[in-house]
Amino acid sequence: MSEMNPSGLATRIDIRGLSFYYGANQALKDVSVPLYDRKVTAFIGPSGCGKSTLLRVLNRIYELYPNQRATGEVIFDGENILNGGQDVNILRAKVGMVFQKPTPFPMTIYDNIAFGIRLFERIRKSDLDGRVEHALKRAALWSEVKDKLQESGLSLSGGQQQRLCIARSVATSPDVILLDEPCSALDPMSTAKIEELIDELSNEYTIVIVTHNMQQAARVAEKTGFFLNGRMVEFDSTHKIFTNPSDKRTEDYITGRFG
Amino acid sequence: MVDIAVSDMSIPSDRLAAARSFSRSDARFRALTATAAFIVVAAFVGIIIALVSGSWLALKTFGFGFLTTEVWNPVTEKFGAVAPIAGTLITSSLAMLVAVPVGIGIAIFLTELCPRSLKRPVGIAIELLAGIPSIIYGIWGLFVFAPFFQATIQPRLIDWFANIPLLRDLFAGPSYGIGMFTASLILSIMILPFISAVTRDVFDAVPAVIKEAAYGLGCTKWEVMWQIILPYARIGVVGGSMLALGRALGETMAVTFVIGNAHRINESLFAPATTISAAIANEFTEAVGDLYLSSLIAIGLMLLCISFIVLGLAQYMIAILERRAGGRSQ
Repeated sequence: MSEMNPSGLATRIDIRGLSFYYGANQALKDVSVPLYDRKVTAFIGPSGCGKSTLLRVLNRIYELYPNQRATGEVIFDGENILNGGQDVNILRAKVGMVFQKPTPFPMTIYDNIAFGIRLFERIRKSDLDGRVEHALKRAALWSEVKDKLQESGLSLSGGQQQRLCIARSVATSPDVILLDEPCSALDPMSTAKIEELIDELSNEYTIVIVTHNMQQAARVAEKTGFFLNGRMVEFDSTHKIFTNPSDKRTEDYITGRFG
Repeated sequence: MVDIAVSDMSIPSDRLAAARSFSRSDARFRALTATAAFIVVAAFVGIIIALVSGSWLALKTFGFGFLTTEVWNPVTEKFGAVAPIAGTLITSSLAMLVAVPVGIGIAIFLTELCPRSLKRPVGIAIELLAGIPSIIYGIWGLFVFAPFFQATIQPRLIDWFANIPLLRDLFAGPSYGIGMFTASLILSIMILPFISAVTRDVFDAVPAVIKEAAYGLGCTKWEVMWQIILPYARIGVVGGSMLALGRALGETMAVTFVIGNAHRINESLFAPATTISAAIANEFTEAVGDLYLSSLIAIGLMLLCISFIVLGLAQYMIAILERRAGGRSQ
C-alpha cells in the first residue's frame, strides 16, 4: 500500500490537482484529496458541484464519452491512472461502481453475480456457486434470494436490486467501491439496510460514497469532503465537518442555509 | 343522473349548457371511433370470407391434396400449392438468415462503434433504403444484379461446393442468374432497413447507466454488446425481425422479377422457383378457367394463414422472452 499519514491512515487512492472538463465546461477545479484504505469517504455538496464527476474519474468511466477529459493525477497502486498506461478493464474490475438507480442486468439473479466473475476468471461451476453465494451474503441479500436464484434480477424490489448491484461489485473482489447516491431511489427501510451494509463492507474495501443526504454522510462516513462549484471546499473527519466546519460555506450548507 | 347532480349544486346555466354539449360531443366522438374500429374488423372478416368463398371451388376439387401436390398445370387443370408455399417459406427464411445478422451488425455499428459524424448519414441512408419502391428493387435485381451474379458469383459458388455433399446439391448449376437464391438476396436487401432501423432504436433505448454498469465491471465493448445490450433489447429485436419477415413473406414485385416463376421444387437454390405472391401476380391475368382462378385465390388464402402463424409465433416468442425477463415489458 502507500505511506501512512500522522493519523495512522493509509492512502489507497491519492487525487492530486484533478481538473475535469465536459467539452469547454470545467466541472472539477484542481481537486486534491486522499481516499483512505478501508475507510468510508463521503462527498457532499449541491447538485452539479462535481462530486459525481469525481467518482466517474476514479474508474475512468467518463472515457466512454467523447469530449470529456481529466487532467491532474489520480495515483492508484503507484500509478497515475489518468496516464492511460494500464488496462482500463482491469482498473474497472478493481474499482467497482454502484449507481443511483439500480442497474441489474437482463439475466437471472445468479448470472447477474456470476457475470462479473466469469469476465476475469475461468472457474469450476461449484466454485462459482460458492462465490455467488458469498457475494450475495456479503450484500445481505442471500436469505432473500437463495430460493430464486434462477429468476430474473429485474423481478426484485428496488432495494433488493441495489443490493444485487453491490453484490455484483463485491463478487469481482475489487479494492475500491464507488457508490453514486446509492439510496436516492430507495425507501427508508432499504436505505437503512444499505447503510448497514456499507459499514460492514468498509472492513474490507475502500468505499467512496456520493450523497445528497447529509445525515447519511454523517452516519456512514469517516471522512467527508464538501464540494461547491467544482472545488473541494473542505475535507476533514466527518465529525469535524458536521460539528465544527472551518469554512463558512461548509457551515452554510450543512445548516441548510443554501443548496 | 349526472344532470340532476349538477343542477342541484346550482351551477350557472351557461356552464351547465356547455357541460351538456361536451357530453353530447363526447358521445359523438365515441361513436365515430367505434365505427372506425368496427370498419377494420369488418374489412378483415370480409377479406377472409372473400378468400374462402373464392377458393372454395379449388379446395373442394383438390381437397387436402391441394397442400401436398406439386403439380401446377393450367392445361390439365391440376393444381397443387406445394411449390409456391415452399418457395415463399424458403426465400423468406433465406432472406432472414442473411438480413438478421447483417441488420443487427449495422445497428451495433451505428449505436456503439460509429464515429458521431457518420452516425446520421449512415442512419439516413438505411432509412432511405426502406423507402425504395419494390418495383425498383425488381428492375435493379433483374437487369443489374442477376447478370452480375450469373457471371461472377454463381459459377464460383458452384465450383467451391462441387465436392461437398449437401452443399453440392443446394448450389448446383446451371447459373441462370435469376432463381430462388437471387430472390432471397434481393429480399434480404429489402428487409434489411426494417431490421436495422428497429434494432438501432431499441439499442439506443438501452439506458446508458446499464451500459456504464457493465463497463464499470470491466467489460469490453464486445461483452457489453453481446451480453448486455442485445439481451436487454431482444424483445425489440424479435419484433423488428418479425415485421421484416412479414414483409418478406408478402413481397411480390421484386420477387416476381427475379425468381424465375417455375412451379416446381428444385434441390438447387439457383434454380428458378416461385412464391405465392409471385405466382398470383404473374398468372392472374391469364387465369381463364374457374378452377385456375380459384386455385390462385386459394394459395392467397394460404399466404394469409402463413402470415397468421408467423404473427402468432412472434407473439409467443415475445411472451416467452418477457417471462424470462421477469414479466417486465421493455
